[in-house]
Order: sequence, then C-alpha cells, then structure tokens
Amino acid sequence: MDWRFFSKLIVVIALSGCGRQAVRASEKQFLADQVMVFDNDPHETAADDHVMENREGAAGGHGAGGGGCGCN
Amino acid sequence: MQLKLAILLLAVSSPAFADDHAEASTQVFEEKRAGDKGGLTVIHPAVDLGTDIGRYTTLEAGYSADAVSGATATTYQVDAVSSATSFSDLRQEGTLGLGFHGRRSSLMITGGFGTERDYLSHSIGGVASIDLPGRNTTVALAYGHSWDEVCDHDNGMAMPLERHALIGAEPCLKSGGFFGQDKPGTTIWHDLSIDNAQATITQNLSPTMNLQVALWGEILNGFQSNPYRRVKVGGNSPQEHVPNERARWSITARFNRFLPAQHGAVHFGARFYDDTWRVVGGDVELGYSQYIGNSLLVNFRARAYQQSAAKFFKDAFFYETESTAGEYYTGDRELSPVRSALLGAKLTLISVAGDKPVWHLFDKLQFNVKGDVLILGQIAADSTLDNPMGIDKQFLYGNGLLDAVILQLGLLGNY
Repeated sequence: MDWRFFSKLIVVIALSGCGRQAVRASEKQFLADQVMVFDNDPHETAADDHVMENREGAAGGHGAGGGGCGCN
Repeated sequence: MQLKLAILLLAVSSPAFADDHAEASTQVFEEKRAGDKGGLTVIHPAVDLGTDIGRYTTLEAGYSADAVSGATATTYQVDAVSSATSFSDLRQEGTLGLGFHGRRSSLMITGGFGTERDYLSHSIGGVASIDLPGRNTTVALAYGHSWDEVCDHDNGMAMPLERHALIGAEPCLKSGGFFGQDKPGTTIWHDLSIDNAQATITQNLSPTMNLQVALWGEILNGFQSNPYRRVKVGGNSPQEHVPNERARWSITARFNRFLPAQHGAVHFGARFYDDTWRVVGGDVELGYSQYIGNSLLVNFRARAYQQSAAKFFKDAFFYETESTAGEYYTGDRELSPVRSALLGAKLTLISVAGDKPVWHLFDKLQFNVKGDVLILGQIAADSTLDNPMGIDKQFLYGNGLLDAVILQLGLLGNY
C-alpha cells in the first residue's frame, strides 16, 4: 500500500462520517472529554514539536488542535 | 536558529479557547554527548494567558524562552568529537493573539517576535475554523508567514568552498533589538522567508470515535545553513552550504477511541513527510489514556520515526575523500538518515471547582508532570563497505541506546 492510496483512504473515511446524524448532540459526552480533544495541552504540543524540529528533518505539520465534541 | 518553527507553530496551531485561561510550564531537555563532552541541556519555560475582552473576542499573550548550554561540533568530519566547543545561548519569543468566536466558528490572528544572539524572527499568522452543520465536522485553515534574519560571517563575494563560518566571538548587531544590523567586513544578516499553510478536518465518527486529517505545506526561501558549522571537504573546512529554497509537505492522520468501560481512551497517529531536498520521513504514534478516579489521568505513548537523507548529504568520510555532492554539503544530522523512538508517560492531577472555585479563582485546574525518553539510531547514508571510518564519530551525539530525556511540569488553569 503506497502513501497515495493510504492518504486517499483516510480522506474517504473522514468524509464518510460527515453529516448531521453522525453523532447526535446528546451522544457527545465521551467526545467532549479532554482525552478525546487533539492537542488538549497546547504547551505540551508546542514543546514536543519544538524538540522534534531540532532533531528531525521531517518535522512539521502534526495537525491543529480541536476536535472532541465539535464545538468551536 | 529554531525560533521560526516555534513561532510559526503558535501561528498555525493555536487552539481556540473560549474561556479565560492561564498556563505555565517548564520543560527540561537533556541530550547525551559523546567523548565526555557533557550534555546538551535546554530549559524551556513558557507562560500563556488568555482572556475574554468581550462577548466574542479573546486576547491571548504568550512568552517562552530556551536557555541552551552544552557542546556542539563546529566541523562535520569523521571525528566530530575532537572538534567540539562549548556554548550557551538564550532564545526568547513573545506572541500576541486576537481571537473572534462565533457560535460555530472562530478566527485567531497571531503576531510574534523572537530573538537570540544570531537569529531574529517576525511572524504573523491566522487560524480560522468552522463547525459544519450537525457539529460533527470541524474544518480549520491556517496560514503563517515569518520574516527571519540569520547572522553570518561577512564572506563578501566568496565562492561557497571559500566561505568562512561564523564564530561566537563575532558580534551580531541588532538595530533597536528588532532588526539585524550589518557590520561590513565582519558580520551580515541574511533574510529567510517562511510561508506555511495547513488544512485540517476533524470528524466525529461515532459517540466514542473521532478522526483528524491534516495537510501541511511550507516554503522556505533564504539562508538555511547553520552559520557556525563547517564541513571538511578534502583539505579544506568551508562553511556548510545548503540550497536557499525548500518546499515541504506532510499529511497526518490521528484517531481517538474512548473506552467507556475502562474510563480511558486509545490514540493512534501516523504522518508522512516529503520535501524538495528529498528528505522523506514518517512516524507512527500509539497512546493510551486512563482515568484513575475523577481527578487523576495517566497517559502513555510510544512513537517511532524514520527519515531518509537529503539528496546532497554524504557521510563525513566521503566529503573528505570524494568532495561534495554537487554544489552543496552539510553536516546537519537532521538531513542524515536516522531513525528514532520515543517512550513517554504523563500524569495529570485535575481539580474541578464545586461550590467554590479552585484556589478561589479557577473553574478547572490541572497540574501535570511528564517524562519522555528518546532513542536514536544513525543509519549510514553511503556504502559502509567503502567507509573504513564508519559513521560512529561523525556527529557529536551519544552512541548508547538512550539518547535524550525530556521532563516537563505544567499548570493549566481555566477561570
């Protein structure tokens, strides 16, 4: 499986979950938990990325924060 | 030299806090050095404050520093250990951000400035995100630009193989503390322009699963060599010389699954990276979070990483015996083939306000302590059969299993 197929597969899986009824508001108890939020500790994320950028030539682009309950 | 990343990270990944918050942390990074040269130590304190200044507006301010000390190899050669010199430096950076929050959308605009002895960075950035109808899909777009300046020895019109490296005793003058000021005949400042952008989709897949996919790209244009580093080419040791242009991109996928029965969650992440210097890399990360009662959270993680060498990278022996790979030559370990692993654990103590605020102020207060160990494995870039010297001494790093450790203490309060 080359990386092009892998990246397309990820996008298809992500888009397949879109829609109003994927998860109802009343079902977001677990999604709202902090362990389900990507980069829930900004300092930890920034410090980790800082270290990796100084050690690895392929650092960068780990993603943005957010997620969890889907509530900006 | 790495302020550019730290500041751009703030520009493109600042999360949207909808409430007042304060966070302070200190990270200590210790890396081994071979040949009894001591270790590289970085102490990284950081503080951030965010406050609502209206119903829809948030003001953010941040400060962080790197106090760096240790030994470094000034010359990339077969025996880098014998050419090590001690150094210390202080990097500082500050950011200001203005956020606007709607019911389903947010926009954060950030500006930053960073300074150290030989590097200056001025940056702006923005992150916009929106929850699509149903609030199961969040789309975020981020862009950042940085105008950086790098201090260097004034080499005039010298050809690359004739250029001298910057030395610590040479002054890097600054005008008003914010802009580089040349001292003709001694030191000059080179420009480095950095643009990056990122698109992120976060998707709720089920009541216990979510997924994030991020596509990131960055273009760098300007001086990207380490001005202090020399590479032994034949009988000479000119300053490192790498291309002025570099375009990089990556795609990242991350996945969380909550386990209600265990009151925990599993995490998975994978990333692929490619760039125009032909560094190709990727990493895979696994994590597990476990609540113990209502106020204790433990997280474990493991990460494996590998990258290939830049197209102009050679093991030191071959630069010495065969000359350069075309126009360029480097002794940057980040451009060599390498694999690494990380094992880490984090303990978080969570206090949530009941009838009264925590410490009379906070709705929620978290204290965390984290420890990571890093393992590194160097890989030969060229034929090992033709390299009688091997690659063990071409970088100034420990050759044991354990390469570095990271400890972090943090305090995050929402009020």
